[in-house]
Amino acid sequence: MRSFLSPGRVALLLFFLAAALLPFFVDPRGHLLRVAAMVLLFAAMAQSWNVVGGLANQISLGHAGFFGLGAYTSTLLFLKLGISPWFGLFAGALVAGSAAALLSIPTFRLKGHYFALATLAFAEVMRVIANSWASLTGGPVGLSIPFMGSQPAYFAFRAVSSYYWIILALLVLVCLVFHLLATGAIGYRLRAVRENENAAEVAGIDTFRVKLTASVISAALTAVCGTVFAQFTFYFDPDSIFALASISVRMAMIAIVGGLGTLAGPILGALFLIPLEEVANALLSSKAAGLSQFAFGVILIAAILIQPRGLMAYWPKKRHPAGSRGA
Amino acid sequence: MGALLEADAICVTFGGLRAVDGVSFTVNAGEIIGLIGPNGAGKTTIFNALVGLQPLTSGFVRLGGERVSGLKPHRVAQKGMTKTFQNAALFPDMSVVENVTTAALLRHDLHGARTKAEAVLEKLGLNGIAQADVADLTFPQKALVEMARALATEPRVLLLDEVMAALTHSEMDEVMEVIRGLRAEGLSFLVVEHHMRAIMALCDKLLAVNFGRLLAHGTPAEVAANPQVIEAYLGHGAVGKEAAHA
Amino acid sequence: MFQALVDGILLGGVYGVIATGLSLVFGVLGVVNFAHAEFLMLGMYVAWFAWRWLGLDPMLGSVLSFIVVFAVGYLVQRTLIERVLKAPPAAQVFLTVGLLIVIENAALMAFGSEFRSVSVPYQVEGYRLGDIFIGAPYLYAFIAAIILAAVLWLYLERSWTGRAIRAVAQDPMASTLVGVDTRRTYALAFGLGVALTAFGGAVILPYITVSPTVGGQFVVLMFTVVVLGGLGSVAGALAGGIVVGVVQSMSTLVFPIQLQNLCLFVIFIAVLALRPQGLIKGA
Repeated sequence: MRSFLSPGRVALLLFFLAAALLPFFVDPRGHLLRVAAMVLLFAAMAQSWNVVGGLANQISLGHAGFFGLGAYTSTLLFLKLGISPWFGLFAGALVAGSAAALLSIPTFRLKGHYFALATLAFAEVMRVIANSWASLTGGPVGLSIPFMGSQPAYFAFRAVSSYYWIILALLVLVCLVFHLLATGAIGYRLRAVRENENAAEVAGIDTFRVKLTASVISAALTAVCGTVFAQFTFYFDPDSIFALASISVRMAMIAIVGGLGTLAGPILGALFLIPLEEVANALLSSKAAGLSQFAFGVILIAAILIQPRGLMAYWPKKRHPAGSRGA
Repeated sequence: MGALLEADAICVTFGGLRAVDGVSFTVNAGEIIGLIGPNGAGKTTIFNALVGLQPLTSGFVRLGGERVSGLKPHRVAQKGMTKTFQNAALFPDMSVVENVTTAALLRHDLHGARTKAEAVLEKLGLNGIAQADVADLTFPQKALVEMARALATEPRVLLLDEVMAALTHSEMDEVMEVIRGLRAEGLSFLVVEHHMRAIMALCDKLLAVNFGRLLAHGTPAEVAANPQVIEAYLGHGAVGKEAAHA
Repeated sequence: MFQALVDGILLGGVYGVIATGLSLVFGVLGVVNFAHAEFLMLGMYVAWFAWRWLGLDPMLGSVLSFIVVFAVGYLVQRTLIERVLKAPPAAQVFLTVGLLIVIENAALMAFGSEFRSVSVPYQVEGYRLGDIFIGAPYLYAFIAAIILAAVLWLYLERSWTGRAIRAVAQDPMASTLVGVDTRRTYALAFGLGVALTAFGGAVILPYITVSPTVGGQFVVLMFTVVVLGGLGSVAGALAGGIVVGVVQSMSTLVFPIQLQNLCLFVIFIAVLALRPQGLIKGA
């Protein structure tokens, strides 16, 4: 039995504490806090992805599909029916979770490349539908959330710091869910399924149900992130919210760069990558369109070639409960 | 009260090839039955068919009078039958106790499963390596851990696929002692093994298969004396040689 | 109805050649190249510049596309893909996705975001066969695709290198033992695979405009074709191309044009779920 306060957990708690206090030390309306909020949001997204990508080792390239479903569900409920995005948040999670369950039926046997392909196609189709079903989704123009001043009941605030704290709470929640899954009974089952599906079945594990559970939870959490993203940015369109590179791949990449299947990995990955991109954007985007995305691609390639196991590989450890391939 | 496990004319076809061709047999509670035959005779396919990894082309499998053919392996495990894999298919990323705990989750919550896993490891004399990484184990240890994992599902019938393949004679005797002990508690076994010494010493009855068909069944002595079996499998006076060893 | 069938076959033949490249790469290297559609885009740009600067018709420019993109592919294989051949799928997936992002944005920086098209004399011409109208650009692209497919088939069957490629696909270890340079063969196969796709991109230039994001239009389509034909099967990809072309063309009779991709997706998922080894068996 490991003690409750392992060095890793202390580091994580300190991180959350520092993150919670950050708005008191920077300009509460400033750009820096917005970037920090994006770091936390992408950490939460990557952690949601990590449930399927890390624990079950199913490489999804379609999580933008769930992210966009979350954003569209809550925003449309608000714009068309006046329902508060706080409820829309749960509705979006429900819609995305159902979509994940439906998608699981034909794809649960698929592994590796095949699974990546199927999920990629799913997000692409979501993008196509959002673009073409203009009467519902507004089409390629996208959706805007009207500025309403401070209306907490409708998920609208004046200060960036309010959004920031909500996003931090979301990250804490997603990390908690990940931790419970990783160390709980389902964590054992997911790891077994990841390592040897036939042996897992024979050992009494319902492999379909385990994978289904993981993908539904992962999709629902991703959708919550989508709703929060929409509220935070006030505007999105099909091509940006269902994007392969800037959403699906980035979620996966943050988790992989940080350390696949580990609790701290997505946070490390987001802390490393998002500011890096931000700097690259600031320096490069004035030079040429596409340069910062180009840099993003180069970083991705370099990260895979240099340390495929991610930054967590450099963390001294005995044995992580989520069990990355150690020693 | 009928047989505990009943295979009724089971057939498995791979694209025209009959890997298992109308095999029928029964296993009673507390019996140890050996399944013998040359390489490629269909023994592992029979095991896979029994636990639901390999769909049957025709025939039925019943466990405790209840039909289990057509069920997925985890359902069959829940009904009380599971198997070990020929080349120890442990979960390589987990420690020994985690491997066993995973299987114990079938009938326990996480806390209960840990307790159960420790008890099973203790019973097989593996508590010394409970925290070890699976990758660091010797082959005989892997086979035993695999057996422990199967036992953690609390089966009524356990199918052992060559768990003694790499064991020395004294290790083999230890494992046979464990199997006999479990049998005394009411567990039934179906055993595939190439060591004739172990088979002859351990099993109450033998089933001999070749080309997916049942050639003979009976007591070890009867089957070993069956001319068809000698022809197909033992041949060239192997019976005498093995008997001299035993 | 019959018109749609003919249109579908003409489109599908080109899709077949485009997807054959992807299938070849998977068959030989065991890597799913997510960046594959970007090489189609590169091929289109090469043909566009050949038309603009040299006055070459895209049907001829396609040969130039083939050569240039082959060289690019050869280098990409030797410098990048080669390093992840034995890595887990995740590393392969993300390396090629990274490549996708890099190539697309490199094109954006180099060529700008505007759509470019060529004008050729036969662009609006066509042939009439009873009630059926056959657009000349579609017909020529189809013919070019079929010629290339035949050449490829001959090359793989007859030439020593072609045989080496097939041998490596089946058993890299054994191929090394009989003296095949596997690293070189892998690079040849990858180069050939992306060059085929680039060729396919060049011949459709008379009826599809090129922009840095044109690859995105072809990703789902390309993978649907390949999955239909069976990943790694070259003949299957050709047949799959025709099937997809026909389905796409037929579906426009029923659905709005934007939902074509949805039809493809349904087929794609259904095939993946039911027969991941592909519907069409082939070499």
